Amino acid sequence: MKTHTMAENIATEQGQSPDKNAEKRIIIRTVGLKKTYMMKDVLTQALRGVDVAIDQGEFISVMGPSGSGKSTFFNMIGALDSPTVGRVFIDEVDVAQLTAEELAYLRCHKIGYIFQSYNLIKYMTALENVTTPMAFGGVLADEARERGMEILDLVGLKDRWHHRPIEMSGGQQQRVAIARSLANNPSVLLCDEPTANLDVNTGQEIIDILVRLNTEKGVTIICATHDHRMMNICDRLMWIRDGQIDRIANRDEVHIELASIDGE
Amino acid sequence: MKVINIDNQPWLSMPRTMKITTDGIRYRLFRASVTVAVITVAVAFLMNILAESLIKRAIAANTRERILKTQLNSIWASKLTSPGSPESIIIETATTEKGSDLYKETQAFAKFDDAAMEDFQELTKDINYIFNFFESLDYAKRRDLVHTSEGVDILRYLSDPENNKTFYIGLSRYKSIHFDMEKEELDAILAKIPQLDASINAILAARREANAKITEILRRDYPNANNDAERLAMALPNADKEFGDSIRSVGFVFDKETVAPELARQAQRLQDTTRMKNSIKDRPVRQLIAQEANILPADVNAVLMWNFLNDKDFAEKYLVKMADSGQNIEGLSAELLVDLAKGRKEAEALERAERLTMDAGRGFMGLGERLAWLLFVSLLVCGIGITNAMMMSVTERFTEIATLKCLGALDGFIMIMFVLESCFMGVVGGTIGAIIGALIGLGRMLSAFGVNFISAIPFLDVLGGMLISVILGTLLAAVAAVLPSWKAARLAPMEAMRVE
Repeated sequence: MKTHTMAENIATEQGQSPDKNAEKRIIIRTVGLKKTYMMKDVLTQALRGVDVAIDQGEFISVMGPSGSGKSTFFNMIGALDSPTVGRVFIDEVDVAQLTAEELAYLRCHKIGYIFQSYNLIKYMTALENVTTPMAFGGVLADEARERGMEILDLVGLKDRWHHRPIEMSGGQQQRVAIARSLANNPSVLLCDEPTANLDVNTGQEIIDILVRLNTEKGVTIICATHDHRMMNICDRLMWIRDGQIDRIANRDEVHIELASIDGE
Repeated sequence: MKVINIDNQPWLSMPRTMKITTDGIRYRLFRASVTVAVITVAVAFLMNILAESLIKRAIAANTRERILKTQLNSIWASKLTSPGSPESIIIETATTEKGSDLYKETQAFAKFDDAAMEDFQELTKDINYIFNFFESLDYAKRRDLVHTSEGVDILRYLSDPENNKTFYIGLSRYKSIHFDMEKEELDAILAKIPQLDASINAILAARREANAKITEILRRDYPNANNDAERLAMALPNADKEFGDSIRSVGFVFDKETVAPELARQAQRLQDTTRMKNSIKDRPVRQLIAQEANILPADVNAVLMWNFLNDKDFAEKYLVKMADSGQNIEGLSAELLVDLAKGRKEAEALERAERLTMDAGRGFMGLGERLAWLLFVSLLVCGIGITNAMMMSVTERFTEIATLKCLGALDGFIMIMFVLESCFMGVVGGTIGAIIGALIGLGRMLSAFGVNFISAIPFLDVLGGMLISVILGTLLAAVAAVLPSWKAARLAPMEAMRVE
């Protein structure tokens, strides 16, 4: 687990770039993020001003009750939607200024997505699922297949490359989804409750993989989760409530108790 | 603030896209089959109507040609005895090929040089158009436009300024009538009426003279006949010999190689057929037929006789009976009788075909207006059905589409994906439908007209029609898919990201 100095924390929370001594740079930054939805004359303020800076290589968990703006926040930092007011910088690129093609490029190359319900393409094999983002990224077929097999090996599914999602368990599908998200070497992985649909053991496997990716490859991981184990291994935790950040804290500032049954 | 440099646009190669499309279809095979079936039905319907129209139109033309050929006898019989009318001269000249026998003959009769004959033919073509135009109107509209005048009198009627005005007023009132001639054109034609009259009268006079000479020759060569008609009937079988020369000598252009022998043959056949028709007047002959048919001799008629004469053995027995009754059977043989019977069957088939193809409509590819409208409506309904099916498909695949967008797919790609899928199904459905429709059309036409007309079937045209049907089917599928695929393309990728 990594630690931060107090000064660095304050600096990053206020949206300023950290000290030159710091090893990391900010990969995602939001400034005064506000989002309002207009649905049939009803104005819904989903986000009411969010300022946050996420470092490269960080593992951060985002918590919040439903309706808190958590999903909207994720949409913003994942380049899936644009803010009404405020700015979102992904790798210092202002997302709001991008055209549709540039957004697609961003999603293809810079950001990986992992969903609660895996969202694999059901009629493609595992390998095809993994190589599709590569194909979008212009990688040639042979190279794509090679790299795809490598990534599948990384998540432990090398011998199931030709299976379709329907032939795999939930855990295996999620692993394929993780492999897919890594296809184009993204800087950021956005995870939406990756372990929610999985049992205890498979969930643990997934968490282990994510941790491995974070420590070995330095991939920034932003997770929306209710899973205490996930919260246990991350660097920072963030709570969102009523469209604003309720609390951001380092891992060591938070007390988490993990449950077990008969020692398991 | 940095700027993104896009080194390569997120896009998929065509093979990859095709693979995704076909995989997707295979995954949803049942739903895809239903859509394909819809397209198949629509295209089969279209193709069937197309094929039937094409075939009917070809058979109509073929029948007309064949009937014309068998009518050589009657054509020449009337030509040799009557000069015709101004209208018949105009129509004949307008519809004959430049340089044909009739063309040369008319030119000789009118004493035109080549240029004058050309002008004359052009004039007759325009006048023929006018004739056809008025022919196609119903009685009420015709009365409104040109009162009760007919034929060349219509032209004379329209020359009068008052009537001319009434004509144009009437035209503008009836929106559904299309008179494809400008006022200047019509006025130019009307101005040529005196010239037309002169030419036609010259031709009529020349023909009358030729007819008179033929009658002289006939009376000279066949003194024993009772009347001129009989003389002609006896002379025509010799059209390939001396009588042919006589015809040529009075100024008719009468081809020695092709027309003469055929005319002679037809004339002879007519003679023999008439003899056979008269043969049933004697009782022993009637008894033979009655035995064969198991009916009373009094109920025997010519139709039965022709029916049985198809069999050679019966024909031989028949000849014997004819001889027994004292009829002259010189020149007749069993083979000839069988041949005559076959010829009658063919003639009947031709007559029936002519009746059946009376309604072979003009218009694009032989389709009538009402049929085209019916087709349009059915294609529209199928198109809407396809759109509906695709909309359902899109809705079901919301998550898939959003996920693809998260992976980097552009809006345009999503749209292409769906339209391609639809096109694929369109091609498959269209091909099957075209084949089915063509086969059904062929079958129906063959059963209606008989196997004799196989040679008249325009296979190349039908194949062309099939190609058009397939293209239309694919186009229909593609257009039907535009709306659903546009909706799919506009989908926001955040649909996939449901963080709850």
